[in-house]
Amino acid sequence: MIELRILLGFAIFLCLCSCKHTEGEYHSLNDKIEEEGKKYHGTDISSETYIGDIETLEITEGGHTFLIPERKGQLKSYACTECHSKPLSEMQNNANAQRAHWDIKVVHADENAMNCATCHNGNAMDHLKSLTGNAVDFNRSYKLCSQCHTTQFEDWKGGAHGKNIGGWSEPRAAMTCVNCHNPHQPQIESKWPVQFNTQKVKERE
Amino acid sequence: MSEKKKWFTLDLGFNKKVPTASSCGCGKTSGGCGSHEAPSPSKNEHAMTAEEFDKAVEGTMVDETRKDGFQQVFDVKMDRRTAFRKLTASLLVGAGAVQTSCSVIAGEESKEKAQIDWEEQFKGNYKLMTQEERDATVDRLVRSYQLRKKENIKMSATDASKDVLFGYAFNISKCQGYMDCVSACVEENNQDRNSQMQYIRIHEMKDGEGFKFNEADDNYYHEVPAEGHFYMGTQCFHCDDPPCVDVCPVQATWREEDGLVVIDYDWCIGCRYCMAACPYDGRRFNWSKPEVPEEEVNKNQHYLGNRMRKKGVMEKCTFCIQRSRAGKDPACVEACPTGARIFGNLLDPDSTIRWVLANKKVFRLKEDLGTEPKFWYFMD
Repeated sequence: MIELRILLGFAIFLCLCSCKHTEGEYHSLNDKIEEEGKKYHGTDISSETYIGDIETLEITEGGHTFLIPERKGQLKSYACTECHSKPLSEMQNNANAQRAHWDIKVVHADENAMNCATCHNGNAMDHLKSLTGNAVDFNRSYKLCSQCHTTQFEDWKGGAHGKNIGGWSEPRAAMTCVNCHNPHQPQIESKWPVQFNTQKVKERE
Repeated sequence: MSEKKKWFTLDLGFNKKVPTASSCGCGKTSGGCGSHEAPSPSKNEHAMTAEEFDKAVEGTMVDETRKDGFQQVFDVKMDRRTAFRKLTASLLVGAGAVQTSCSVIAGEESKEKAQIDWEEQFKGNYKLMTQEERDATVDRLVRSYQLRKKENIKMSATDASKDVLFGYAFNISKCQGYMDCVSACVEENNQDRNSQMQYIRIHEMKDGEGFKFNEADDNYYHEVPAEGHFYMGTQCFHCDDPPCVDVCPVQATWREEDGLVVIDYDWCIGCRYCMAACPYDGRRFNWSKPEVPEEEVNKNQHYLGNRMRKKGVMEKCTFCIQRSRAGKDPACVEACPTGARIFGNLLDPDSTIRWVLANKKVFRLKEDLGTEPKFWYFMD
């Protein structure tokens, strides 16, 4: 009986020893991040100055709140109604109509899925239009993209897709879809690298 | 410095904070050599009451236990061979410095230069320095640059912030091999322009064959992305348990509280043990004197980061310590046109890096080694 007790005592002793959780010691980096993250109270480091002089607006999507660049001010000739004073059908049928937007070619999905009218409303050009016909502000054009590109939208909200602006700390600012992708031709072309890769590896052989 | 240090330190009584009487290499006490801008306590020693004298004597007694500057080197028991070796190396520099600084013919400026050289030669390990000593060496380096290049640089010695642990994520489905990150890194970190010093390597790999570094093309130059290939970048992964730190015989490299693995370029002896110990090819060695055209030098510097290095020392990615500790993204993150690089604070549960770790399928290189790199790869 006494041996059993010693054995039991030894087992308990082993259990206590094998898992020494002293302050600042964790089994893995993930444990450490998780544990120490619980005590997180924010830092006094701010990234605000690095956003620069671009104008931003705050959006909240799916529990994420962050800044995106303002868009309307960047458009060459907003408001659209300065030219589009009449519904598109009337303007197109006019014999003296000026030919505009000749440089825009839609290479986005195929013709069955998309044309100009998928996102633009010929009767209200100052706003974009959702698939169900609701008006969407030009500043929130990501709402159009997210109608089809749902996984990219999820990643973008979390921060896995798209580009961060300025710094890693608060406030978070991120590029919106149209800052990188041309909405009419969203595919990004291949190009040459900006410089050679290092030749060192070759030398070492 | 915090109490729970992870490195072994020789207790020479460094931690006792005692105002030290200024000792100057050139032997002058008047302050004419230009290195005594801070008010030195020894100035009013002439007029002294008996009590003050006693205090001063006590002060010097404690002072003896706190060795500083060249005393760290000279007042240590050692055998004759080591002593001679140290003497010859250091005195060559020292003798030159003393000669110039005590010379009547040399101008004030060259005297100051010599004084700075002397003090830089005998300064301690950055890790063991007090904040005042750190500020002093930063000031000396700034002044030295000013005297030599007639240009002003801004150097900081910002410490790690509490509640910050830096982490990095790399999206291998987004990287297209454009190399913007490499260019930005070279410019930001004042890397040698002659020896192709690059902290980041971009590897072009075949789709469907996994990571095969021996078969990867590291020297591609063609339109990218190439059909049937993917791209991935490597750099220093800032391991949480870094093997490079363990092998350093002089403790010139260490892990900071915010997770950055840094190097004191002035303490590094260039043995390259760390380079051999790193399983990720993260460390680089300066085989020649790093040279950067004056107009391209990034003047925003950090002591542990992008300040000018010398020949024969190690260097590597520091996650742009001069930027990241100020809240800015590293240069590679900012330069990447694809958004493949994500950087942030691992301790902040709302940070983007934490979202990536929680929601994407992430992995690290050679995870089984237990080095715990803070650099994750993921795919869309």
